[in-house]
Amino acid sequence: MSTIEVKKITKKYGEFLAVKDASLSVKAGEVVCLLGPSGCGKTTTLRMIAGLERATEGDVIIAGKRMNELPPQKRDIAMVFQFYALYPALNVGQNIAMPLHFEKLSKEETDRRVNKVAKILHLTEVLDRMPGQVSEGEKQRIAVARAIVRDPNCFLFDEPLSRLDVELRHSMRGQIKEVLSNLSKATVIVTHDQLEALTMADRIAIMRDGMIEQVGTPHEVFAKPANVFVASFIGTPQMNLMEADLKSFGKGVASVTLAGNAVEMAADPAVSTLRPSKVMIGIRPRAFTAESSAGKSTIPAQAELIEPMGAETLIHARTKLGGDIRVVVPRTQRIKIGDVLHLKPDPKQTHFFGENGRAVRA
Amino acid sequence: MTTTAQFLPAPPLLSPVAHNWKLALLAGLVVSVIAIVLFPARLSVSVVGAMVALVAAAFAVNAYRRRYYGGLLVAPAIAVLFVMNIFPLLWSLGLSFFAYQSNNQSIRFVGLNNYIKVLTNDIAAPANWDALINTGMFVVFTVALQMITGFLLAMLFAKQFPLRKYLLILVLTPMMLSVVASGVFFSYYYDPTFGILSYVMGEITGNQFILMDSKVGAVAGIVFTDAWMWAPFVMLLVLAGLVSVPKYLYEAAAIDRVSKARQFWTITFPYIRGLLMLALLFRTIEAFKLYDLVYILIRGGQDTKTIAYLITEIANEQNKTSEGAALSYVILFMVIVLTNLYLYLANRRNQGA
Amino acid sequence: MATLAEKFGLRKASGVGEAGWGHTLIVALVSLIYFLPVLMIIFTAFKPSAQALSVPPTLSPTSLFGLIPDQFVFTPTLENFGQVFNRVMVSGNAAEPTGFDVFFFNSFFISSVSVLLALVIGTLASYGFSRYPLKGNDTYLFIILTTRMLPAIVVIIPIILMFRTVGLSGSYVGIIMLYTAFNLAFTIWMMKSFFDELSYDVEDAARIDGSSEIKVFLKICLPQVVAGLAATFVFGLILTWNEFLFALLLTGVDTRTVPVAMNQAVSSGGRGTDWTLLASIETLFLIPVFLVTFFLQDHLLRGVTFGTVKR
Repeated sequence: MSTIEVKKITKKYGEFLAVKDASLSVKAGEVVCLLGPSGCGKTTTLRMIAGLERATEGDVIIAGKRMNELPPQKRDIAMVFQFYALYPALNVGQNIAMPLHFEKLSKEETDRRVNKVAKILHLTEVLDRMPGQVSEGEKQRIAVARAIVRDPNCFLFDEPLSRLDVELRHSMRGQIKEVLSNLSKATVIVTHDQLEALTMADRIAIMRDGMIEQVGTPHEVFAKPANVFVASFIGTPQMNLMEADLKSFGKGVASVTLAGNAVEMAADPAVSTLRPSKVMIGIRPRAFTAESSAGKSTIPAQAELIEPMGAETLIHARTKLGGDIRVVVPRTQRIKIGDVLHLKPDPKQTHFFGENGRAVRA
Repeated sequence: MTTTAQFLPAPPLLSPVAHNWKLALLAGLVVSVIAIVLFPARLSVSVVGAMVALVAAAFAVNAYRRRYYGGLLVAPAIAVLFVMNIFPLLWSLGLSFFAYQSNNQSIRFVGLNNYIKVLTNDIAAPANWDALINTGMFVVFTVALQMITGFLLAMLFAKQFPLRKYLLILVLTPMMLSVVASGVFFSYYYDPTFGILSYVMGEITGNQFILMDSKVGAVAGIVFTDAWMWAPFVMLLVLAGLVSVPKYLYEAAAIDRVSKARQFWTITFPYIRGLLMLALLFRTIEAFKLYDLVYILIRGGQDTKTIAYLITEIANEQNKTSEGAALSYVILFMVIVLTNLYLYLANRRNQGA
Repeated sequence: MATLAEKFGLRKASGVGEAGWGHTLIVALVSLIYFLPVLMIIFTAFKPSAQALSVPPTLSPTSLFGLIPDQFVFTPTLENFGQVFNRVMVSGNAAEPTGFDVFFFNSFFISSVSVLLALVIGTLASYGFSRYPLKGNDTYLFIILTTRMLPAIVVIIPIILMFRTVGLSGSYVGIIMLYTAFNLAFTIWMMKSFFDELSYDVEDAARIDGSSEIKVFLKICLPQVVAGLAATFVFGLILTWNEFLFALLLTGVDTRTVPVAMNQAVSSGGRGTDWTLLASIETLFLIPVFLVTFFLQDHLLRGVTFGTVKR
């Protein structure tokens, strides 16, 4: 079975801890994205799975077999590199055929397989060209073709789309997803682009400072961020994270002091476990409704900057204490600079984070 | 790229602006002629030099103001090369058409006679052909040995490992020795009585071992010394090629399960091919000029005279300057043909790849 | 857990292209064998004259705690180095200065000035060839290369005549000029390939920002080819430092360089080769190039690609 399992792997470079106790398991046919800001250890994790780096501690299990000590050659994996790593002295067809030499196929069989993947990835026309003579998008497809031309244990992608322009990136996301869905292999994709992760992955592992912060489906990491970092990292525009004083909690309603206002807001029952303390409240910009009059659960803020985004409008509003709140309202709702908005959060989309930064949720 | 646009109109002949090179040339010529006529040779040389500098400065300013940067940048190099290389070359080319001996004042035009003599004369030609064949032999053996040794050494140093820097400098040292010292010391190592080679061979075979006693031995001794000195040069070039291969290509090859042999031919070799060719070119040119080791190790004995040795002998010891020059030009012609062949092959390869 | 073996690199290191102490051991063995002839020269410099030519050859200044039999061991001495500068030239006379201090200075002065001069002139020219190609650019470059193809003796006769006419024989200026020309071909070819490799984008950006051509060259291009400059310098230095034939025929008593003086010191007096003297001169003479090469070594590797690696 094509599976990947990573158990508590750690990578140290001298004193520097690049990856710490990362655990992850990928089922056959599942696509998992490692998402995080640059330097978070996601590429190192991928390279440890590939065998290009040796894990300092922990286990790498591919297809049910512990492979810590095995070099990449013996792991039977396919990988797409960030800079594609096309062999510059070989033409496109020869590049794609490279992984097949190991299997000692006949010339006809090799050609057949190369032509097959070339057709899937629309490369038939450029098979005779050199890597220097093809476009960036074609290079990317050649790298993918080289990976899928054989039948490996799993697929690894290192920032596969980072060098493409926005348009190409969009179409390649679709293509890669389609290709992968037909192969039913365990796949790990490293990316720093959340849109890429949200659209391509079955599950997303969000990393920071060498640690995996949360693993979940795209819906889970968006709707139920495990901590402040995930909450702020996923979603555009960024979630509003506001410090608040939790006064009391009763009957599903929390009384807090937020930006100098006493506000009562509906909250998860688990908030009842918190004693009165400083908390962090996270509300996505689309989770507000801007009301015209003040209420018990509204936060007043003055519109300062208005950015039309097409169907919606992004408003940067300032609270009484000077904090910035991002609000997205429908295009039809006309708001001018200077208007005072009474922002009412959607109770189902209000996240409470305790002092340790973790989400407080039942 | 800046074009060499000539937007500046030429100044009238007598206008004293800095870029009026015609005026400078005129003044320079007049002053020089006066100096040569009136002053003694040493002084007039300085005056002519100053005038040349003046004209050069005017040319430079003119070129700069006209944005003719290419000429401006290249000119000093061309000037130095012209005075120190091309002019003497042309001079000796001229000499090759004359009968001239440096210990004799007489000089007489003889046309192609020198060339005919060095190539066909009953006495001179066979020696020349022998020397030529010897040179060819040395070129083949020493370049081949250098390339192989240099290549193998480079493969050893291609990885990162502890103390690499310190070991590399040890291997590079032979290249830094003076030929006098290394030549003389190798003649000591090869010495039948005192040398280490003879000692070791004597312990094994029980007989005294005289390397330089036969042509094969002498050639082997010379080739070994030359290759020992210059293999590090080849190594350095190959190594530069090896370290310039991006690491991710090897990583991709590991993932793709490419065999070591295939990795070498499809990934590594394309990166060092150009440098190997370049090392071949430089070392071949140098090997064609092999002279000093033949002189120091064996004084041209055992039929090991190379063409450079012969030319030096003819021109310097026998003072037959023009004959030596003629022979040199035969060699130059051959080297140019060879070099062009190389450049042609290298370029064709590059375009093909 | 990283095992002890891993820690000391005895097991295969994790990264591609890295090796541990095991590899070091192999390379050390090969390097030492390769270095052996040089080592013998250096050892000879420390041998007492009487032991220089002993049979069997003495190989080591120490018995390494009895590992090496006594017959191969010599007693190291520094006497020879003193002899380089002061020794008995005529038997019976007292020791007198040999002039080697001057010869070392000459070698140092002539080599460094001519190599630097060639570097300046050659770099300018190669920049010109690279950025402002002339009509027949390749022809010029080829002619420049051919100047390196002829046996030195061919050029040297006209040069001797020329120097004699203008009074440059035996002067610093003459030999420096000659060595500069001698180094130019190599410098131009090497540096041109470096400039060819640079991307024009940054230069054009600087031009658009209003930088003059001179500033573009000095501030943008030159800093990018430092490795090439260093490599060219080392190669030029090695070749010039040890040049023998030109120096023999064109330097005078005051401007004589070490290789020439070394040859004379060794073969004069008709007593056969003075091995310990030769060895100590060479050992001293080796130190400067050795140090320069060592300190510029990192550049050397990056610098000799000659831009042949395309794509």
